[in-house]
Amino acid sequence: MSWWLFNRKKANQKSFVKEYLEKAKKSIPNIRSFDQLSFVVLDTETTGLNPAEDHILSFGAVKIQGEKIQIASSVEWYLNSTKKGKEAIIIHGLMGNEKKVSLENFSIQLLEYLGNNILVGHHLGFDLEMLQKALRPVGLERFPNPCIDTAQLAIRIDHGLMVDRNRINFKEYTLDFLCQRFKIKTHDRHTAGGDAFLTASLFLKLLKLASKKGIDNWGLLNK
Amino acid sequence: MANVIVNRVAEFLKSFPPFSFLGKEELEIVAASVEIKYFEKDERLFLQGEPAQPHFFVVKDGGFALTEKKDSGEDIIEYCDQGDVFGVLALLGKRPYVLNAHAAEDSLLYFVPVSVFESILNQNSRVALYFAAGFASGQVVVRQDLSQSQKARKVFRNDSSDHSLLIFSDPSVIKISENVLTANENLNIQEAAKKMAFEEVSSIVIVNDQNHPKGIITDKDLRKRVVAEGVSLATPVSQLMTKNIIVKKSDSSFSDLYLCMIKNRLHHLVLTKDGTIHSSVCGIISDHDVLLSMGNSPAVLIHALLNTLDLGEMKMIRDRAEQMLRYYLENEVAMDFVASVMTEINDVILTQANIIAQKKHAADYPELEKVKYCFLSLGSEGRQEQLLRTDQDNAILYDDVPDHLKDKANEYFLKIGSEIVEVLIHCGVSPCPGDIMASNPKWVQPLSKWKEYFSDWILKPTEEALLNSSIFFDYRPIAGSKLLADLLTEHIYEEIGKKHFFLNFLAKNAYMNPAPLGFFKGFVVEKSGEHRDQFDIKARAMMPLADLARLLIFSHGVIKINNTFKRFEKLAELEPVYQDLFIQAGKAYEILMRMRALEGLQQGNNGRYIDPEKLGKLQKQLLKNTFSPISELQEIVRVRFQLDYFLK
Repeated sequence: MSWWLFNRKKANQKSFVKEYLEKAKKSIPNIRSFDQLSFVVLDTETTGLNPAEDHILSFGAVKIQGEKIQIASSVEWYLNSTKKGKEAIIIHGLMGNEKKVSLENFSIQLLEYLGNNILVGHHLGFDLEMLQKALRPVGLERFPNPCIDTAQLAIRIDHGLMVDRNRINFKEYTLDFLCQRFKIKTHDRHTAGGDAFLTASLFLKLLKLASKKGIDNWGLLNK
Repeated sequence: MANVIVNRVAEFLKSFPPFSFLGKEELEIVAASVEIKYFEKDERLFLQGEPAQPHFFVVKDGGFALTEKKDSGEDIIEYCDQGDVFGVLALLGKRPYVLNAHAAEDSLLYFVPVSVFESILNQNSRVALYFAAGFASGQVVVRQDLSQSQKARKVFRNDSSDHSLLIFSDPSVIKISENVLTANENLNIQEAAKKMAFEEVSSIVIVNDQNHPKGIITDKDLRKRVVAEGVSLATPVSQLMTKNIIVKKSDSSFSDLYLCMIKNRLHHLVLTKDGTIHSSVCGIISDHDVLLSMGNSPAVLIHALLNTLDLGEMKMIRDRAEQMLRYYLENEVAMDFVASVMTEINDVILTQANIIAQKKHAADYPELEKVKYCFLSLGSEGRQEQLLRTDQDNAILYDDVPDHLKDKANEYFLKIGSEIVEVLIHCGVSPCPGDIMASNPKWVQPLSKWKEYFSDWILKPTEEALLNSSIFFDYRPIAGSKLLADLLTEHIYEEIGKKHFFLNFLAKNAYMNPAPLGFFKGFVVEKSGEHRDQFDIKARAMMPLADLARLLIFSHGVIKINNTFKRFEKLAELEPVYQDLFIQAGKAYEILMRMRALEGLQQGNNGRYIDPEKLGKLQKQLLKNTFSPISELQEIVRVRFQLDYFLK
């Protein structure tokens, strides 16, 4: 990967990116109920927490359709990278033995996988920022997909939309904390696939809770 | 390679049947096709009469209730919890659902596509067998109250592979004797028979000078061709042997050997170096060996036991019986069946041990040949409740002998008793810590002395006497003269009839048993020692029930029933007022036996101590439910035997 690409204002959009952007334009009607929605729950493992310096090591995701986690759709991809973050290796236990894909292939696979699904993740913003950085060389500026952050969704369910965010104890909305609260056994933490799977299980439970509060279609969920 | 998500799903499925029967690859295929859905409490999954979905279901977390609509409302037919599979009728018959299903609590459910599983069903016969046998929940299994022992199974479920469905065990276990008894062609019949008798084998291979097989003579040939025909014993073997024998190469596969035996109706198959009769003999396999290698069915094991006096083989068979036991327990086979099969196996071992002992010692005491004796099993084995090889309790009862033979008889029967005890120890039954065994001179006695013992215990119910009574009153004759045991039983019956007070003491003992639950409804655990913080399932739950059953059945003058369930069953019949309670008590005992045996099998010990912390909520509840009959029965006993007055 050549680093000078990042400094360019705008990369040329590859054809698969254009195709993806075209597909993603289709919006979802507000009245659509949850069991008709299609979600991609994703997580990334990175070399660190600074989007400016760090980069993605692996990507894991699973789809939810009909309010069911589709194990058959689960993926876990390891990225070929020039940098090796020492700390990340310690946290994530990635030793570099996994079969890796090149950045270009990753981009193709990723965009095809994401399609026009709703993206879901815990602190999704960070993952998307990392992904967008990785995809800048192929000409993608930002993901147009609708997004749901499970941390925000949990806060909204507990406190409503109009909450004063200064009064929220964010520690209660970490993935670990929420899994414990919703009795989801945490396995394979700090692997992209494992965290995506946990987030998916959490999301299913949050959706049920949301319907109970009257949030039962896409329009309401997307507020 | 599957990713971490698929692996996680596979990991979960793997520990539950029928998924536990799948190979790694099959399991990955199934896991990768699973869909997971979350259900809130009371949410419906399907309704009676709805067409089958293209999935069947596995409970990941939480629980599902299967209910049936009746006029009176909905009856819960089955409760499925973690790892339970349901909705399989759809898989098998593609018929509409016969029950309703709803989440009984917040639950995660795995949906397994029928299409994926069907192909596995076709290929994997064990999985097919599992479903065919109807073990999967949801096929209508009606259970009541305490008999939800399916849950008990999970308490101690073990993740080991299952062995019992294999028809043949590991071929390496199959014993092919390499020491073949051979004889030269010009030997005569008598000499050959002598050799066979000396080596205790049922066949002899006749060979030429190069050790090439020429023929074979078996026990059956001696019977049919020699004795029945009245042939001279001096006839050379070559005239009587079976010629043109079939041989096989010594390193042939087992299935090859076995098929050859079946096809040719051979009881013995001779193996040679190159598989022709023109090379030297190097092994023989008999149908007995084959039988031994065949799976773990009770009939096979018992048959095999009856045909051996070899200690090593007896131990091996007893070990094998334990695998069968584990399978039975894990698959909810009815407890009375399991207990009787295990009792039968234990009894056959004892009978064989008795034969071994007689063979060894009878010749030295010709004057005692006619004296009847009886080997008694005591305690749990006497009650036909011993599933694991926990400690042995036994004794010998022999007929009274004239004075001049007393010492001799004492010596002889003690030798017999000690020998039997040794055989049992060899077969893995540990010795009794209290030395209540037929190797202890105190417990090898003539009938008159035994009568005296019992009269004494009944007349003077000291603490020791009461302790003894809980072991000795449950005796059961195993080997030898059962008539002697009957005489003793009659004596005890008369004595108890005369001294009713004995029952009050027995009642006091049963009433004073330690309570299983503390004031705050927690398990009462051991305060100190090796088993600190563990629950003594034997002393606190099983013994009280066994003691109560014994007392109450004695109070009805019924002496001959010595099994705890059967006692409760009889009591239910004798006292219709308390019928339900007695039935519950019998079931509770059954569940406790199962729990203890599974715990023991898993921990490789006697299963007596259970760590309540390791039990799930449901299992704890199940165990606690078994206690309620204990306190109710104790209350009846307190009133009936006037213990308030008596204890003062």
